Amino acid sequence: MVYQSPAGARDLLPLDVAQKRWIEDRLQQVFHCWGYHRIITSTLERLDTLMAGGAIQRSTVIQLQESEEEELGLRPELTASIARAAVTRMAGATLPLRLYYNANVFRRAHEGSHSRQQEFYQAGVELLGTGGLLADAEILLLLIDGLNSLGLQQWTLVLGEAGLTRSLLASFPLAVRDQVRWAIAHLDRITLETLSLTPELREQALMLLDLRGRPSDVLQKVASLKLDAYQRKALDNLKSLIELLEKSNSLPSTPHPSPSLILDLSLIRTFDYYTGIVFEVVSPSEAGLQILGQGGRYDQLLGLYHPQGQSYPGIGFSLQIEQLHQILLPTGQLPQQTPGSEWLVVPDSPQAYTAALAYAQNLRHSDSLARVELDLGGRTSAEIYDYARHRRIAQIAWVKTGEDPVIETVNHQP
Amino acid sequence: MLTVALPKGALLEDSIRLLQSIGLDFSAFLEPSNRLLQIADPTNTAKALLVRNHDVPVYVEYGQAQLGIVGYDVLREKVPQVAHLADLGYGKCRMSVAVKKSSPYRSALELPLYGRVASKFVHCAREYFNSLDLPVEIVPLYGSVELGPITGMSEAIVDLVATGTTLRENGLIETDVLFESTARLIAHPLSYRLDTDGMHEWIEKIRAATEARV
Repeated sequence: MVYQSPAGARDLLPLDVAQKRWIEDRLQQVFHCWGYHRIITSTLERLDTLMAGGAIQRSTVIQLQESEEEELGLRPELTASIARAAVTRMAGATLPLRLYYNANVFRRAHEGSHSRQQEFYQAGVELLGTGGLLADAEILLLLIDGLNSLGLQQWTLVLGEAGLTRSLLASFPLAVRDQVRWAIAHLDRITLETLSLTPELREQALMLLDLRGRPSDVLQKVASLKLDAYQRKALDNLKSLIELLEKSNSLPSTPHPSPSLILDLSLIRTFDYYTGIVFEVVSPSEAGLQILGQGGRYDQLLGLYHPQGQSYPGIGFSLQIEQLHQILLPTGQLPQQTPGSEWLVVPDSPQAYTAALAYAQNLRHSDSLARVELDLGGRTSAEIYDYARHRRIAQIAWVKTGEDPVIETVNHQP
Repeated sequence: MLTVALPKGALLEDSIRLLQSIGLDFSAFLEPSNRLLQIADPTNTAKALLVRNHDVPVYVEYGQAQLGIVGYDVLREKVPQVAHLADLGYGKCRMSVAVKKSSPYRSALELPLYGRVASKFVHCAREYFNSLDLPVEIVPLYGSVELGPITGMSEAIVDLVATGTTLRENGLIETDVLFESTARLIAHPLSYRLDTDGMHEWIEKIRAATEARV
């Protein structure tokens, strides 16, 4: 019988792994440079932990049958796990906590979805315990730094402010507010045009739906609205944040065909998960525009996991390794082959095994980066040369008993 | 280049006329000899894809077409993740329940429990009967659903009705309307947010042309 992998599963062979590692190593390097430490949480979580924030539906979690009192699921994202793990240790800890992860996540393909993939890889960070403008700026600049370290050329940062947008939505009567919010989140103009709203409110809803574009234009448009103290403060923060970003000069400089920063106040979800800035990284690929990563500020989330309900500010992002992989592949930057070995050590007879093993080990010790393979016998010398050429092995050491090994450089020219 | 997905069939002519009025000429699709599935307009500003009705939202959802024109019925059936931008007004029809005229049923609620309903619009039909809390078996068909009640396979059908002629001629009678449908302008959400290929300008033109016609 043939054993197949489960539908939606995928194996990563050595070259896939080398390419994935290329991406992850660069991101990790940047995370380290910003003072972030890696956290590893459990792949399995209780279902209530995963769903507490309101952003995760039961139907998207791959569930496991366990004991009756504990419903378990494979994590569809890391923030819930990190929030759970962090709050219990926050009381005594020096804040902020700068954490990063590089992990697999699992999602059940939802009904109507065309993709069956179930396991994904994400790298991301969480900055917990301190809020404010600089924390927001740090996360966005860290994101930009990470993307730049991958040599990504064309991408756009779409930036919103969930707290501000939600506050602007508060002027709608409760009876229709959720519908208006749903329509704006889903870019459904037709619903806004047909909902029963006063002409002023309809105009405001349509304005919110298209409240995006060049940051300076959008900021000006928002500033012209009647704002309360909270909204004014949020707007000022947003303005300062955008100034910090633009002055950092780290946004992509070749913005064609889209600008590198779009302020989009219609970028909201239908659930109250994010409380401040929200953002997405969008990049063109051969298959169309793709979301490479996303994140935002969630100042209420940690309180849900804290035994006494005490909340801490939090902000973070996650990058989709598969999408990055797909976009980087055509650029030729990723490794095109797995690394070859430097040495092939060939014993000429069973009597030479001891000497060959010792010689190979010696080579490994003398240069910690050297890859040293042992020839396992059963091949003619012509086959050994073929093998060495095929595997791009630099040197062959022929080991005979009682003699010094003969070292031969393999000619790789065809 | 801006790409628009256009539906084959009833909406095609009106859609092409609408785009023509804003300066994008895809009338080559209407020539009987045409076999091309993708053409650029003569000014080379935009491309159009000629696809099956139900495939329009697929091309738009994946972003291969930034814009698309499709009936509301398809949007209700497939619930694609696309931006709904404008009601274009034409292609008026309704999604209805119909039964054999000679049957005792005159409303969906009178249908027998666990009765059968044939439809090409399985999702719409299921949603509707769920909302009535009436358990029925939905029989998926790909066309000529009127044969369901005629042959006795099903008690009722859920299908699009434009004039009602087909129903009448086949001895069926409309009992309930699920929703009214018209042609809609849809967009790929990310492209819409990024305003790729200056699509907003074209959307405004389409909207203005639609309002002018009403």
